[in-house]
Amino acid sequence: MNTSDKSLFTRAIQWEQELIVHEETLRANPWRKRFQSVFRNKMLLTGVILGLVVLGLALLGPLFYDADYARQSLRNAHKPPLYKGYLLGTDAFGRDMAIRLFVGFRVSLFVAAAVTALSLLVGVALGMIGGYVGGSTDRVVRSSTDFIWGFPLILVAVLLVGGLGEGLFPVILAVGIVNVAAITRVVRGEVVVLKEREFVEAARAAGVSRFRIMWRHLLPNVLAPALIMASYLIAVAVIAEAALSFIGLGAQPPLPSLGKMIADGRGFLRINHWEATVPGVGIVVLVLAVSMIGDGLRDHFDPRLRHERGRKKLK
Amino acid sequence: MKEEIQDNLIQIHDLRISIYSEGSYFDVVKGLSLSVCSNEILCLVGESGCGKSITALSVMGLLPTDVAQVTNGEILFRGQDLLKLSASDMRRLRSDEISMIFQDPITSLDPVFTIGSLLTEIIRVHRNVGSSEAENMAVDALEAAQLPNARQRLKSYPHELSGGMRQRVMIALATALNPAVLIADEPTTALDVTVQAQILERLRERQREQKMGMLLITHDLAVVAEVADRVAVMYAGEIVEEASVQTLFDKPQHPYTQGLLGAIPDITARRGSLHAIPGRVPPPQVPPPGCEFAPRCVHALEECWESRPLLEGSGEGKLRCFNPQPLIT
Amino acid sequence: MLIVLLISSVAVFYAIRLSGGDATAAALPGSATEEFREEFRARIGLDKPIYLQYFAYMGKILKGDPGHSITNNASLVEMLKEHGKNSLVLGGAAFALVFLIGVPLGVLASLRRNSWADHGIMSFSIAGMAIPNFWLALLAIWLFASTFRILPAAGCCSGKQLILPAIVLAFEGIALTVRMTRSAMIENQNNDFVRTLRAGGLSEWRVMGKHVLRNAMIPIISLAGLRIGQIVGYALIVEQIFSWPGIGQALVTAVLRRDYPVAQFFSLVLVVLVVLGNWLADTGYTLANPRLRRSR
Repeated sequence: MNTSDKSLFTRAIQWEQELIVHEETLRANPWRKRFQSVFRNKMLLTGVILGLVVLGLALLGPLFYDADYARQSLRNAHKPPLYKGYLLGTDAFGRDMAIRLFVGFRVSLFVAAAVTALSLLVGVALGMIGGYVGGSTDRVVRSSTDFIWGFPLILVAVLLVGGLGEGLFPVILAVGIVNVAAITRVVRGEVVVLKEREFVEAARAAGVSRFRIMWRHLLPNVLAPALIMASYLIAVAVIAEAALSFIGLGAQPPLPSLGKMIADGRGFLRINHWEATVPGVGIVVLVLAVSMIGDGLRDHFDPRLRHERGRKKLK
Repeated sequence: MKEEIQDNLIQIHDLRISIYSEGSYFDVVKGLSLSVCSNEILCLVGESGCGKSITALSVMGLLPTDVAQVTNGEILFRGQDLLKLSASDMRRLRSDEISMIFQDPITSLDPVFTIGSLLTEIIRVHRNVGSSEAENMAVDALEAAQLPNARQRLKSYPHELSGGMRQRVMIALATALNPAVLIADEPTTALDVTVQAQILERLRERQREQKMGMLLITHDLAVVAEVADRVAVMYAGEIVEEASVQTLFDKPQHPYTQGLLGAIPDITARRGSLHAIPGRVPPPQVPPPGCEFAPRCVHALEECWESRPLLEGSGEGKLRCFNPQPLIT
Repeated sequence: MLIVLLISSVAVFYAIRLSGGDATAAALPGSATEEFREEFRARIGLDKPIYLQYFAYMGKILKGDPGHSITNNASLVEMLKEHGKNSLVLGGAAFALVFLIGVPLGVLASLRRNSWADHGIMSFSIAGMAIPNFWLALLAIWLFASTFRILPAAGCCSGKQLILPAIVLAFEGIALTVRMTRSAMIENQNNDFVRTLRAGGLSEWRVMGKHVLRNAMIPIISLAGLRIGQIVGYALIVEQIFSWPGIGQALVTAVLRRDYPVAQFFSLVLVVLVVLGNWLADTGYTLANPRLRRSR
């Protein structure tokens, strides 16, 4: 007897059709599941929505909301939101809070983008070289990153600002240096493990050049952890810029920065608390968005945590 | 030897286990019944994913309850239904009366404690003994598992031992309290071939010394031939054939068993190519309407598609098949 | 470790020297003559090449005489004692809060996974990391000192005055520790050895409270060392806001006043603290993890 005889049985035919349907749905599923899991991942979704709102306000806000962030109007100082067309009120100099908030977002996002680009580029390169080449190169990379990492960011920034003068550039440099160390550590750690794996051994045995191994085989594998780390570092950069501007070392007037705005509003909490709370809430929303995206991405890519999410109570 | 086989220690009746995955439930163990007597080794054989390990975990009461649950049946230990025991009563039985050895000795030992402290902790949870006495018991257990330099090894961490030595530690952990039942889930699969034989032999000796009833789970028929007294062949969540080891190897009746045996490379017979079973195990989400094996069976009849055969026979041999075949060679 | 200390002392020395500007401007009245300024520089060693200055400086520190402030001529050793004690109290309180609150909450969240307690703790943790601590400090002062008037807004050094700065300083650390503890606990709960221990008849309490927690402590201990560095960094801001006369406050004031001996000495002290913390993190990690301990 063979299979064709077997399929003469009607039940057998029915079952085989069921099986085919089942397998088709399985085959169709990966895409649907990937799509669904982004939506089911509420953390990621909320983060993305919040992030888009902030990004939209930063980019489009100044286009639609016509005001000058530096124009002072002392008669209209310390006004609450919705006062005479000032959407979010005014500060001590009667400057429009709404436009200052939007521009403040721009500053934060610009600093964060610059820092993250810098730290990703340098960090991934250094980490891969250190981890893969090993030896004394690695020792230098490791000890210098170990040294810088876990160093209080504010202290590094205070030292650098002292050397370079106040402004956004030393802030970017200071946060960048510390974040390079963070990315380098993560990437180096991954590479040290990866380079012992069979596929790298195999490539080496086949005579593939070092550069090619790093580029083709290691880079794709370290990108996910590096990007996840980077999304955390965006939050770090936003907070650091705000903190440094808060103590007067970052953005210089009249350029608004969220941290500087909080510092300005600090003395007037009893008169008009909005001057501090508007930028304060702004920072929190921005940082929340970024860290939720980071968490969501990690959940999405880390299979161990994905497993955890799949579990539900059995009835 | 038959006289030595006494009462049934473990009796499983009509056990059904569902697991939950991706929003739906399905049965992975479908009405399984078997029994283990004292002083015998019952081998549970089957391809991976047929429900062997999950059956073992359900006996230990260690099913991960958020994904798997027993939905029907009973598991009797000395006549007492383990499924109805309270969590603390079940805990008292574990390792004292029923213990288990797991597949991977590398990850199965807590890496931050010495093996001495692991052993004495488990001993002292169950026995009211002082620390020095617990230590002596631990040394005895390690020596019985033939770990060299047992007393010095108490201070070793798991990572300082080789895979074979760790599996001996696992054996010591599982047998330190002289349990009545020992479940071993693929105890040698993760080990080097040379170590496998030693570990198997040691397990078998321990079982004989303590007259334990042992449930050995494996996919490796060479292991079965080596140590089993009786064999139960499992396919897609149910037992399809059960027999003494000689009968099963000499006169397998179920087409699946025959296929499995045909799949062992037999050097002496020089039959040429390996005999693989065509097709694959049906996904548990879409069980076949009749016999689970029908889609892969060359002897399937219309009847096999219509209804599910029962496990019939008693004592020595049981079979779940409408159309058993004499062995074809 | 020693090499790291050496390099960082050089780095700090150069950074502060470069950023210091003309130190005489801070110390002497504007009417002082140029000759007098020269003489003053020579007296405190500013006329020599910078590497000689470095060696002279390190030599003095090793002898236990780091010099005096040029704004009020206070002995740096006395200042260190005074401010160091205050900082130690604040930093110690914050450090203790981080672990006394963070670890238990993290364990609780991991054991009651997906319950309301877990969601509550994790939302708190996410919020804790999103709120910059200078903003939190302002909110806390506004709420507890201005509005309800139950706690003092600033000052030193009574227990009541300690509460707000310590909590603010610890806040982000608590949030991070909670997350770290939770994920380390969950990771270890999925380990095979947990099944072995359960099969050995150990109670859930023992398996989780002893074995899983002990494994989860490995990354947490290494986090503890890094925490020291973070607390040192945040102390710069928090001490400033709450007018807590600690090392951080003294350093920021000194930088703003170009009082370079103070800035130099105190940043050196903080850097040594941070390096020490990082070293403790490594050592702790090795000690807590038997796999890294050298086998006999």
